[in-house]
Amino acid sequence: MELSLTVNGQPAVVDVPPGTTLLEVLRDELGLTGTKEVCDEGECGACTVIVDGRPLDACIYAAHAADRAEVLTVEGLAAGDELTDLQRAFVEAGSVQCGFCTPGFLVMATHLLETAAELSEEQVRRGLAGNLCRCTGYAQIVDAVLAVGRGA
Amino acid sequence: MSLIGASVPRGDAVAKVTGRAVYGVDVRLPGMVHARLLRSPIPAGRIVTLDVDDAWAVDGVLAVCTADDAPPRRTGLAVYDQRLFADDVVRYEGEPIAAVVAETEAAARRALEAIRLELEPWEPVAGPEQALDPATRLVHPHWAEYEVAPGLEFRRHGNVAAEMISDPGDVDAVFARAPFVVEDEYRANRQYQAYLEPKHAVVDYQGGRYTVYVAHQYPFNVRDRLAQILGVAVSRIRVVCPTIGGGFGAKLDVGLEPYAAVLARKVGRPVRIVNDRLEDLLTCTSREDAIVQIRSAVDEDGRILARELTCLMNCGAYAGDMPFLASIPLHLAGSVYRVGTARVEARVLYTNTAPTGAMRGVGGTYLTFAVERHMDHIAAELGMGRRELRLRNLFRDGDRMLTGQVIDQAGTLRQAFDRMEQVAPWAQVTAPRPLHGVGLAALIWLTNPMPGSATLKLNEDGTLGVVTAATENGSGAVAMGLTQIAAEELGLRPSDVVVLAPDTDAAAYDAGSQGSRTTHVVGAAIRKAAAEVRRRIFDVAAEMLEVSVDDLELVDGTVGVVGDPGSRVPLGEVARTATFTTGPIAATGAYRTPMPAHDPTCATGLLFPSFPTPTFHLHLAEVEVDPVTGRIHVVRYVVVQDVGRAINPTGIRGQIQGGVTQGLGYALFEQLDFDGARYRQRSLETYRLPTAVDVPRVEVELIENADPAGPYGAKGVAEPPVVPVAVAVANAVSDAVGAPFDRLPVTPEDVLAALEERRRRP
Amino acid sequence: MDFRRAGTTDEIVSILAEVGPDATLLAGGTDVMVQYLRGEIAPKLLVHIEQVDELAGVDEADGRVDIGALTTHLTLSEDPVIRRTVPGLAEAASQVGGHQTQAVGTVGGNLCNASPAADTAPPLLVADAELRLRSAAGTRTVPLDRFFLGRRHTARRPDEVLTSIAVRPLPSHAGETYLKVGRRGAMEVAIVGLAARLVLDDDGDVVTDARLAVCSMAPRPLRLPDAERLLVGSRGEPEAVAAAADAVQETTEPIDDARARAAYRRRLVPRLLAEAVRLCMRRARGEEESWS
Repeated sequence: MELSLTVNGQPAVVDVPPGTTLLEVLRDELGLTGTKEVCDEGECGACTVIVDGRPLDACIYAAHAADRAEVLTVEGLAAGDELTDLQRAFVEAGSVQCGFCTPGFLVMATHLLETAAELSEEQVRRGLAGNLCRCTGYAQIVDAVLAVGRGA
Repeated sequence: MSLIGASVPRGDAVAKVTGRAVYGVDVRLPGMVHARLLRSPIPAGRIVTLDVDDAWAVDGVLAVCTADDAPPRRTGLAVYDQRLFADDVVRYEGEPIAAVVAETEAAARRALEAIRLELEPWEPVAGPEQALDPATRLVHPHWAEYEVAPGLEFRRHGNVAAEMISDPGDVDAVFARAPFVVEDEYRANRQYQAYLEPKHAVVDYQGGRYTVYVAHQYPFNVRDRLAQILGVAVSRIRVVCPTIGGGFGAKLDVGLEPYAAVLARKVGRPVRIVNDRLEDLLTCTSREDAIVQIRSAVDEDGRILARELTCLMNCGAYAGDMPFLASIPLHLAGSVYRVGTARVEARVLYTNTAPTGAMRGVGGTYLTFAVERHMDHIAAELGMGRRELRLRNLFRDGDRMLTGQVIDQAGTLRQAFDRMEQVAPWAQVTAPRPLHGVGLAALIWLTNPMPGSATLKLNEDGTLGVVTAATENGSGAVAMGLTQIAAEELGLRPSDVVVLAPDTDAAAYDAGSQGSRTTHVVGAAIRKAAAEVRRRIFDVAAEMLEVSVDDLELVDGTVGVVGDPGSRVPLGEVARTATFTTGPIAATGAYRTPMPAHDPTCATGLLFPSFPTPTFHLHLAEVEVDPVTGRIHVVRYVVVQDVGRAINPTGIRGQIQGGVTQGLGYALFEQLDFDGARYRQRSLETYRLPTAVDVPRVEVELIENADPAGPYGAKGVAEPPVVPVAVAVANAVSDAVGAPFDRLPVTPEDVLAALEERRRRP
Repeated sequence: MDFRRAGTTDEIVSILAEVGPDATLLAGGTDVMVQYLRGEIAPKLLVHIEQVDELAGVDEADGRVDIGALTTHLTLSEDPVIRRTVPGLAEAASQVGGHQTQAVGTVGGNLCNASPAADTAPPLLVADAELRLRSAAGTRTVPLDRFFLGRRHTARRPDEVLTSIAVRPLPSHAGETYLKVGRRGAMEVAIVGLAARLVLDDDGDVVTDARLAVCSMAPRPLRLPDAERLLVGSRGEPEAVAAAADAVQETTEPIDDARARAAYRRRLVPRLLAEAVRLCMRRARGEEESWS
């Protein structure tokens, strides 16, 4: 069953069976492997992408529900080699260890920064509670988001 | 300016923040096909029927494989007790019984459903105590026929897969005349490493060689274990490591690689296999559950005169690396605090549960839990301050562990207590507040000594290539530590150092990312190689600049003449000159930490005999207990840690914050318990990892007492921060509630029960 | 399996009339997709209804508040009308999963999934929620406390779609809360969830009306009328709360599961109830802001 969507500004048409997840389309059909598969049930946020302005877990979002939607993945954050402020902050603050959760955190935090006027540490932590990290203990991820939120 | 001590961003960060980093699960090869395993749905039983004919008939299926067409031998790390597929008997839920490979993953799933499997369920051997009972069925009735790895000697019997015993003979006499005897029993659950990237492998078989693509902590062990399992020479196997999404000890042994290898050879196409999360959780070699009994003889002044410690460790259905971990109880029963004399026994027990194995802080988490909870109990019995009791018994420079190993820098512990007192004065933090408690825990840990190497080659543009099989497991040991050390040695920018991803065909042996060894061991190897590279650079540059080698220095990517800023030649020019005159500039360094002396007669079954490059740690936790829900809030956490020398402080803080967070998970959230012999928790919803709202910002105080052999004095850093956390928290909760918490995890359920109990008491 | 997209309520209704029990409605999918991927459900048709705009949003009129079935948890937790009139629902919605689940998960989905742990159920039960169910045969109204029949089992007929939920706004001199217990501070399926709505007399002294409901204490979320009666006429004193807690214990049947033991759930009841009564009374008296 065909569906068309725009991913990171690029139109795409794929033909997958109903019940296929958006994550499978991104990784297996479109080769966008930056978005990660971890828990397969919306518990960890590693597959967070933005669909029509809403951050969601692509591992439990039906691909055909995203027909005609605009999708933003980690690959669409930077403009070419030009990192976003948040990506740069992640690099600087030590927010990345193994990095497997990083794409999900970046997409989620990008959304938080775009939709909130200002963010307290508590709000950042709440907003990122749906993203699990097993390496960092979160402090340096929170640091990076706060640094950008403050316009540092 | 020196790069040592500078928080340089890690070399792989940009690839990771842009989604460009290729992880093991991202590897795709042309013609690749997909495999899945049929796993036992029950923990124990006999295979009555295994009929795979219908699976062969499923559209897209290329091969089906069972014990009948897999290598026949039993293999293992210490005990050769495991076959690739269960043959007659299944010994744990999730044990592989058959494998299928198909054009697509969906076809492979359909094929699994077409396999007809009938099992006769048996009553499982569920836990270590049951396993010890002489009336219990043996998990391995033919244990006595199993081989043991060459060079290892340890006792095994029945369901006891390994035994370590240390008995100096004088312990009972001391107990008999001791003024006080304090006795406790502690229990700890399993802990799932819960790396985010599931276990996986892609194997290609071409021209008699297997190429294995797997993001792994220990590529050379994949090579060696695969060779053992397949019965081929190690040179027939090449292991290439993409970026790894976490391991924490669970990716030190082979996992899915042998299945992909067998199938790849059968079908002649690259085979990919990936665990789904449920399979991964059920079959991962999680941190073992354990029961620790501890008894101490103490005098009126709080001096510990003697100790007895017995540890039961559940290795599950197969021994894996657990026989090695049976040594840890002896190391931890009598370090940090003097204990006089001690008898220590450890038994590793077979049960019908998933095999357990290494996780960050191997054995240390629950042994430290036992030892430091017990210290609080002793203090309570004696009516003595908990900090005071610890200071009275604290190790000093030159004190000996129970193995006889001398700890030269043990006085660092006192420094740690003093530093802690500066940032969290004991009288202040322990001032009575309702439902508020404080816990303290100290530790001596080791830096894994196993060998490593690195080849440095000066590229013709003046940058440096580093060829090593040291793995970047996420800790920054390669992307920060080794990169900075190499750059520092040769006066380069870290961005001019290019580290090749591990490839067992290219690099010499490396013992993998375990026990915080990479920066220490491979860093030392890099320094050796760098010395040789520098010598060759200076030889060539001395001729180019017409000065003596003694007058040369490496500065900012150039060779300069000391005291003459005008005389410089770029390294690229030196490299090009060298390459086309005397030959390319490259050198290899290798290092292995010498093993500290110990008394070989101190124990039997001591497969892991000493604690090289010891490090010193003190943790303090402050908690508040919610009287409505029993939930525990860790409101403050302080770590004082000796790192030898901080190569990258941001990296070190990240390791400590991350390790403490895993420890908090183990202490409070991560429950992995059994319904019979099956895990109750079967997803990342019920197996709860700490989230961003569950952990405090850890306060970090570093002590830098240099290790003479470490690069710039650096010691191991990343493993130990997980170790003392559970007990610091358990001690704090016990303090807050006024009741002992002697089981991990500490749950709100137990807290509420204790609060009610306390209210009922007069 | 087939997949169809419905753009209007009429379309949903006509698809259901045609396909009935073989169809599963898919809104945000945070429950349906998980169950589908685990093989727990195997519908012949998924009907994607997420973009039926007329089923989303909050309306306040004539002393009733209407909540569209497709209103997301995120909207519920932020909407000023909900926060003023059904604050317990906002409190509950903000604790459903993480931001990613809240952004697409809907209240209608939460109710129709009928998990014993449905977070939005207790606060809707204490707000006397009535559900509007539409089919080709017409529209009927079902009180929420008669909607849940058991675990994942509701009074919704296969040809019906839940269109909206009508609730009674918090009256004056009243306070409301939803207390959720999980092991972690977020991302929890409720070990126990308790909603309370208490109305006080004009002096802010005596409880004149009480509504209590729980989740994760039985196969379905439950209103607790026996316990409510024991609070009415009280001043929230410990004896009354204890008696009400005993009544809760009698009407509930918690189980041991992978998240917690039944014994813990039972221990929580009197403590949560006391805390809920305390909070509701303080909020009713204006001594404390509602959850924010």
